[in-house]
Amino acid sequence: MIAAITVLTIVLAAAGTVLYLGSYFWGGFLILAAIALHLFKVFKRDGAEETMALVKKSYKMLWVPLAGIVIAIVTGGIIMVVTGYNPFKAYAALFYGGLVRNWHISVLNAAPLLFTGLSIAVAFKAGLFNIGAEGQYYMGAMAAAWLGLTLNLPSVISITLIFVIAGAFGAAWNFVPAILKVRTGAHEVITTMMLAHTARYLSPVFIRANGGDPSTSTHPYVTTEILESNWLPAFQSFLPEANYRLHTGILIAILAAIFVQYLIYQTRIGFEIRAVGQNRDAARAQGISIGRNIMRALLIAGFLAGLAGVNQVTGLDHKLFENLQAGYGWNGISVALLASNSPIGVIFTSLFWGMLDAGGQYMVRTTQTPNAIVEIVKGILLFLVVAKYIYVYLGDWIRKRRKRRLAAGVAAAEGAAS
Amino acid sequence: MASKSERKVILETRGVYKQFPKVLANQDVNIKLHEGEILCLLGENGAGKSTLMNILYGLYKPTAGEMYLNGRSVVFSSPKDAIRLGLGMVHQHFMLVETLTVTENIILGSEPGRGVQIDYREARKRVKELSETYGLKIDPDAMIENLSVGLQQRVEILKALYRDARILILDEPTAVLTPQEVEELFGVIKELRASGVSIIIITHKLEEVLDISDRVYILRRGKIEGERATADVNKEELANLMVGRSVVLTVHREPHEPHPEPVFEIENLHVLDDRAYPAVNGLTLSVRPGEVVGIAGVDGNGQSELADAIMGLRPVQSGRLLHLGSDIARMSTKERIGRSISYVPADRQRYGLVLSMTIAENIAMGYHDRSPNARGINLDYPAMARRAEELIGQFDIRAPGPLTPAGQLSGGNQQKVILAREFTRKPTFLLVSQPTRGLDVGAIEYIHSEVLAMRSQDVGVLMISLELEEIFALADRILVLYEGAIVKELDPDRTDEREVGFFMTGGKEKAS
Repeated sequence: MIAAITVLTIVLAAAGTVLYLGSYFWGGFLILAAIALHLFKVFKRDGAEETMALVKKSYKMLWVPLAGIVIAIVTGGIIMVVTGYNPFKAYAALFYGGLVRNWHISVLNAAPLLFTGLSIAVAFKAGLFNIGAEGQYYMGAMAAAWLGLTLNLPSVISITLIFVIAGAFGAAWNFVPAILKVRTGAHEVITTMMLAHTARYLSPVFIRANGGDPSTSTHPYVTTEILESNWLPAFQSFLPEANYRLHTGILIAILAAIFVQYLIYQTRIGFEIRAVGQNRDAARAQGISIGRNIMRALLIAGFLAGLAGVNQVTGLDHKLFENLQAGYGWNGISVALLASNSPIGVIFTSLFWGMLDAGGQYMVRTTQTPNAIVEIVKGILLFLVVAKYIYVYLGDWIRKRRKRRLAAGVAAAEGAAS
Repeated sequence: MASKSERKVILETRGVYKQFPKVLANQDVNIKLHEGEILCLLGENGAGKSTLMNILYGLYKPTAGEMYLNGRSVVFSSPKDAIRLGLGMVHQHFMLVETLTVTENIILGSEPGRGVQIDYREARKRVKELSETYGLKIDPDAMIENLSVGLQQRVEILKALYRDARILILDEPTAVLTPQEVEELFGVIKELRASGVSIIIITHKLEEVLDISDRVYILRRGKIEGERATADVNKEELANLMVGRSVVLTVHREPHEPHPEPVFEIENLHVLDDRAYPAVNGLTLSVRPGEVVGIAGVDGNGQSELADAIMGLRPVQSGRLLHLGSDIARMSTKERIGRSISYVPADRQRYGLVLSMTIAENIAMGYHDRSPNARGINLDYPAMARRAEELIGQFDIRAPGPLTPAGQLSGGNQQKVILAREFTRKPTFLLVSQPTRGLDVGAIEYIHSEVLAMRSQDVGVLMISLELEEIFALADRILVLYEGAIVKELDPDRTDEREVGFFMTGGKEKAS
């Protein structure tokens, strides 16, 4: 019975997610049904108290980011009023564009962000700051483009190979910072960031070698298109009304998030990474190798960031552009921070971030509100989430005041009694 | 003694309350300090002693209650007010500038002289005078960094006297001193009393109360539990008042014959410290199954480097570490843990536990790669929680449950989590470093009896401790560590703290 419910929940959630991502919005009802079913299962198995505890826990986890979103949107609205724009029209356009009209663009934006966000979250678990995800992204993209141009195998095999090999290139790009960190203690923020720039400026060289030719107007700063057998399948191949550009990279990214969640919280490897990240002295005293886990975390992070590049090349562009300026590596940091480095959380924050970008473009086109507003909202949001100790501080202050009054009352009462 | 109670009351608190966000640290505290007396404030860790002193010194504001100095009501808004009215405090951690001289440190903040110019000659003269008046011998031109801990403490006391302190508060003054230095300090304190200074000593050590004080207040859970004239009280009564139940002060040590074949041997070990200076210099010792070998020594004589080297946390320069006959000096920490070597580190929060992880995870750590904690690559969380639940019961860990983060436990319970992890791995050799540091009497009693239980299960125990009392309570053999080598082996039944302290501070045997 319980097992059957679990299977049904997973099927409903998976189907609902695929449908919803493909702009079949009624898939949302399937997701809601899956959530209800899950609660029902917990209720059946553990009783009402556990169910309430679960709901409370989810609420506790969500309220900081949600409150941040609300405050950021209100502040952005005030700024619009002050600068002479109509916030209601602008926000209506933003959300209509991001969530409904151009939802597929939101999803397309989210896929690479999800990979880079996971990359940064994994490194964070080991107490490391993989600030150079952008570089691993470029390495993955270059490897994917090269393999995409040369591998001529059945689709399933070659796409799998591209993901694994190109991801490995991203990981390899992080090997140097990792070995430097382990052997000499060189700070990964510096080394990964420097290598990020190196990778970015390697890409023009690669593009020239693979079809890009600035002297012609047909192929100025872009490689030749990769073989069609190496394209990620589009949503349209199973959902006919989905946008033709929407590809299945987001589904792979979500699976990656679930895998990372499992890896970090259910396996020995994740346990060691977390122990090293939270107290490396104690971890070491229990025989956990700090060096090995720094290496692991940075290589996994590099692999994931590399997949972001693979996703763009094999899914969306089918070629590699120079100077994309997309900044998926840098934005991955924001997405991971917003999710407090929770792998599952990154799924939602990357979709949200992608939605802000897609909706922002729609807002600019339809209401002539400058895109800077979206950037301001993002900035405020990040500030609020990163500085969440503000909430903690406020909460403490209120509690303290309440207690102080109480204690004074007690003291006064006892004084009067004696 | 009637004469004492007739003495002038110099400092008094009436109904002092202190409420922190989560705890009521002081509750209706009424104490009186007479002129020219030595008053002890005895209590366990967390009993509220330091809070009370910080209130007296103006660092905290009381939530409610009043303070009277010489019969007048006073309110301190900062230590400045307290100092101005003749209070001085010597903190547990000294507040000295290492690179300045004794005189400079003493006058810092109240320099004599006109305008921006400091009258050093005048300052030096006053420091000299003070040190002669109170018998606090010290070189006024010495650099603080070159002084021993005992002398640094003198500088702190002089600093207070320089500011005309009539009331001196000493926070755990003997925690960092050698037995000889303690004796000297007590001499100084008596000298101060004779010249009319009133002294409050905060402590959790019963001996100290009996040795030095005239009167003692016992503080428990923020309340004054009792007041005694030291002459009318004994150790047991004080301990019971402090803990609130009967405690066994020294755990009974059954005679236990160790096996003759050593389980762990160190031969001519050399280890460097963090600055690459030799810290362990040709140390040799052996531990047999079923005995507790106690390493006594003043902090900083190679204790932590020795422990690190035994556990593989610091490279061995030369020498051998033999466990059950095989040399483990080149093995990884993981291999050493795997071959039944257990370790209770001195700094439990830094080396013992990952505070943000749960009790269950902390207990599994180290053995997280094997049954029952793991199946293949997956961790078995339910099994880990069941195991932790079991050990929480067995070791009497006060915690809401196995999924409570270790950081939410008290110090004693954190230590019990470590013991639960290390003692249940069926060790053959156990390295215990300062197992009761900072713990209260109840927890100390428990931990001592657990260590002795290991001994009766024929585990070889090597215990490093800075507390001589602990060494005497547990050790079957005492090895004195001085400058990285064992300088003397003593039989606890045929020696005393004086003799051990003599060798600890570099004393040489008389050539006879």
